[in-house]
Amino acid sequence: MEDARHATQVLTAHAAGLIGCTSCGKVHGQGAARCARCGMPLSPPDGRSLQKVWAWLIAGLIVYIPANVFPMLRTTNLGRTTDNTIIGGVVDLAEHGDYGVAAIVFIASVVIPLGKFAAIAYLALSISRTVRLNADRRHVLFVIVEFIGRWSMIDVFVVAILSSLVTLDFTATVRPGIAAVSFALSVAFTMVSALSFDPRLIWDNEYPPRAKGTEA
Amino acid sequence: MSDTGPADMEIERRKPSFWRNLSLAWLIPITALAVTLFVAWQTWLDRGQTIEITFENAGGIVAGETTLRYRDVIVGNVEQVAFVPDLSSVVVTARLDRTIADSLPEDAQFWVVRPEVSTSGVTGLTTVLSGVYIEADFAPSPGAGFERFTGREEAPLVEPGAVGTRITLRAIDAGQLSVGAPIFHKGIEVGRIERPELLFTRDGVVFDAFIREPYDELLTSATRFWLTSGLSLSLGTGGLDVSVGSLANVVRGGLTFDTVFSGGEAILEGQVFELYENEDAARSSAFDDPFENAVEMSVEFEESVSGLTQGSAVTLRGVRIGTVAAINARVRENDERREVRLRATLSIDPGRLGLPPDVDEEEVLDFFSEAVRNGLRARLGLQSMFSQSLVVELVELPDADPAALVTLPDTPPLLPSVESDLPDIGATAEGLLTRIDNLPVEELLDQAIATLASVETFVADDALRDAPGEFVALMADARGVVGSDEVQALPGEISGVITDLRAVTETLRQAEAAANLVSALDSVSNAAQSVTDFAGDISGAAGEFTDLITRLNALTEKANQLEIEEFLASARELLDSADALIDTEEARAIPQSVTAALDEARGALADLREGGAVENVNAATASAQEAADAIREAVETLPDLSTRLQRLVREAERVVASYGSESTFSRETLQSLREVQAAAEALSKLARAIERNPNSLLFGR
Repeated sequence: MEDARHATQVLTAHAAGLIGCTSCGKVHGQGAARCARCGMPLSPPDGRSLQKVWAWLIAGLIVYIPANVFPMLRTTNLGRTTDNTIIGGVVDLAEHGDYGVAAIVFIASVVIPLGKFAAIAYLALSISRTVRLNADRRHVLFVIVEFIGRWSMIDVFVVAILSSLVTLDFTATVRPGIAAVSFALSVAFTMVSALSFDPRLIWDNEYPPRAKGTEA
Repeated sequence: MSDTGPADMEIERRKPSFWRNLSLAWLIPITALAVTLFVAWQTWLDRGQTIEITFENAGGIVAGETTLRYRDVIVGNVEQVAFVPDLSSVVVTARLDRTIADSLPEDAQFWVVRPEVSTSGVTGLTTVLSGVYIEADFAPSPGAGFERFTGREEAPLVEPGAVGTRITLRAIDAGQLSVGAPIFHKGIEVGRIERPELLFTRDGVVFDAFIREPYDELLTSATRFWLTSGLSLSLGTGGLDVSVGSLANVVRGGLTFDTVFSGGEAILEGQVFELYENEDAARSSAFDDPFENAVEMSVEFEESVSGLTQGSAVTLRGVRIGTVAAINARVRENDERREVRLRATLSIDPGRLGLPPDVDEEEVLDFFSEAVRNGLRARLGLQSMFSQSLVVELVELPDADPAALVTLPDTPPLLPSVESDLPDIGATAEGLLTRIDNLPVEELLDQAIATLASVETFVADDALRDAPGEFVALMADARGVVGSDEVQALPGEISGVITDLRAVTETLRQAEAAANLVSALDSVSNAAQSVTDFAGDISGAAGEFTDLITRLNALTEKANQLEIEEFLASARELLDSADALIDTEEARAIPQSVTAALDEARGALADLREGGAVENVNAATASAQEAADAIREAVETLPDLSTRLQRLVREAERVVASYGSESTFSRETLQSLREVQAAAEALSKLARAIERNPNSLLFGR
């Protein structure tokens, strides 16, 4: 697939009447039900998988709202409880002069998730031809989304570590708020969403199977 | 017929149903949405409702931090602190638990709880760490839902939720009271007072007080309140009486109430009570109240009424029956001159006189006019021996000049008065004091001091302390003399001599040298004679010894009759004479000389017997005579010795008689005396034997 971005005209497996294994990439004939190499079930690229992408994406979006509205961290300091939302925390950090940390938190908790939502949505829309996008670019976008996905849990990790470390009872306690769960869910949902995306559709869409006859 | 086959069915691929095509994955966002909405709804529910409380100042209140509590449970949070448009006060917006906010009545009270240290104790200490909070107090009324309130500047007097009765107290001066001072009933705190407020319409202050349930049932119209400062000091016939309550009470002041007479009626919320200076005033105030049928009478006094005040008691035979309602002066037209007389108006409670409570005035006046005819008079009396306060006494003086109850048109009936005997009381007291003053107390005391000093000197004298010790030593010496081996051996030696003599006479008889014996016998007879004489003496001494023994027997009986001066004198004397006795050479020499004499006699007789020669008889008898003489000589000193012993013992007896029977000293003494007695008995036994048969000394029979 590496040459995909160079090739403008590519014969996809689907177009050739074959099925590529999503797991190991081996190409089988139409009749095969399971991959001869890795044993995974074979299925032709199906527009229905896009529904999954959308479903998970929307779920991720929904839970992303409470993740930003509700407090992420509940800090108890000398009997005084302070709730911090993600944005509130970023603003606090910036006010304290920790611009670097504020930037990291902002990027990890706001920019990346939002970017991911946008990227997946854009990909899905381009598959269903609502927006036009070059297959090469689609592919690059997909790779980026997959790569970034694993880094979006930074926030959740920070909260988890803080809560377990800063438990000094009365003087200082950090507890995760509702937002921490929401955020974790949101990240998980978008990851599932990205995983549900069948990359074969990127190419199928550019070169639909019915074009096969004309080529042959 | 059958060429017409079924028409070609138009098989139309069924369009896949939208629903069938739908992925199950759509359940995920639906669930997420549901959960999120649920959480949002919950949060919205939790947010509660906002209310606005207006405070004069918002000291310590921080938006977002300060909590709002009801019965010490957090029910809300301050969201915003702002000013009213004209900046005259602060509006605190608080978000309250929905159920609480719904039940807020219009008169709900809010105040800021701050740490406070006062005489009532330390309150709000928890707010030091947690910051101040707003406390709410209200009677829950579901559905009222008021949202705007005015906050109090300080915590209300009554703790939230307390049930009881609120009353108003009126006092001349609130100097001894502070906010929150406790109200006691029989020592138990039953309520609190609030900040006193000055009354501008009349002299005095009023303050609200709150009596907690169930003590508020004790309040009746017969209840009286008085100040208890915690420190009470009274000087009376019983002496100075100071009682101090708790320190807090001393600092804060306090009130006590009690029902001072029976028959009070139930009170209403907000009833006004007078506050009295002290318990006495409160209790006697029962008479200040106009009784429904109190009868007014007046009395005129010619003498000074200094000490009689409005409120002074009117007593009949010591029992208070009324009070002095007013005192004023009146010009009275006498026959030819005008004079000023002092008139006291008495308010008398007929009930106290034993008349029925609903008796009418006519009857009471009838009663009094009859009593006056029988001699009832009013006069001034002292309230107590030590006070200058006066009371009006109604006394019955049958011998008084006849008088009658004078009914006057515009004043109460005039009760006749007699001159009081106040000056007499004063004079008597003065006379008593003068007599006390004249008592020779000081001389008496001087004498007593002098006596005590001499007694002290005498007792502290070292010689006095040493006397018993010295006497014990003396007795030990005496016992040593009497118990010495020499004295003890004396009778044995004498009997040895007698044995020898017997042997000698035996030899002489066998030798039949009778002729030569005559002179020898004469000598022996002389010796015997002197022995007999001695024996006679001894017998006398023995008699005295018997006497001594009797005295010794009496000794222990006399032991208890102790007279210290006598004892000391005689103890000294005895010590001196005993010393002298023991020190005499004679006393020491007696045993030796007796022994020596007997030795000589024995030696002579031994020679006689051993010699066996008649020629030696002369010499022997001469020696025997010598020996006998020596014996006599020695024996002659025995009575002297026994006399001295006797004297010693007599003195000892005197001393011991004046001594206690239990002391070591007397035990020692008795023991010594017993030994002396034993010695004397031995001597007397010997003497008795010689007396009974003088010849046995010579002839062994």
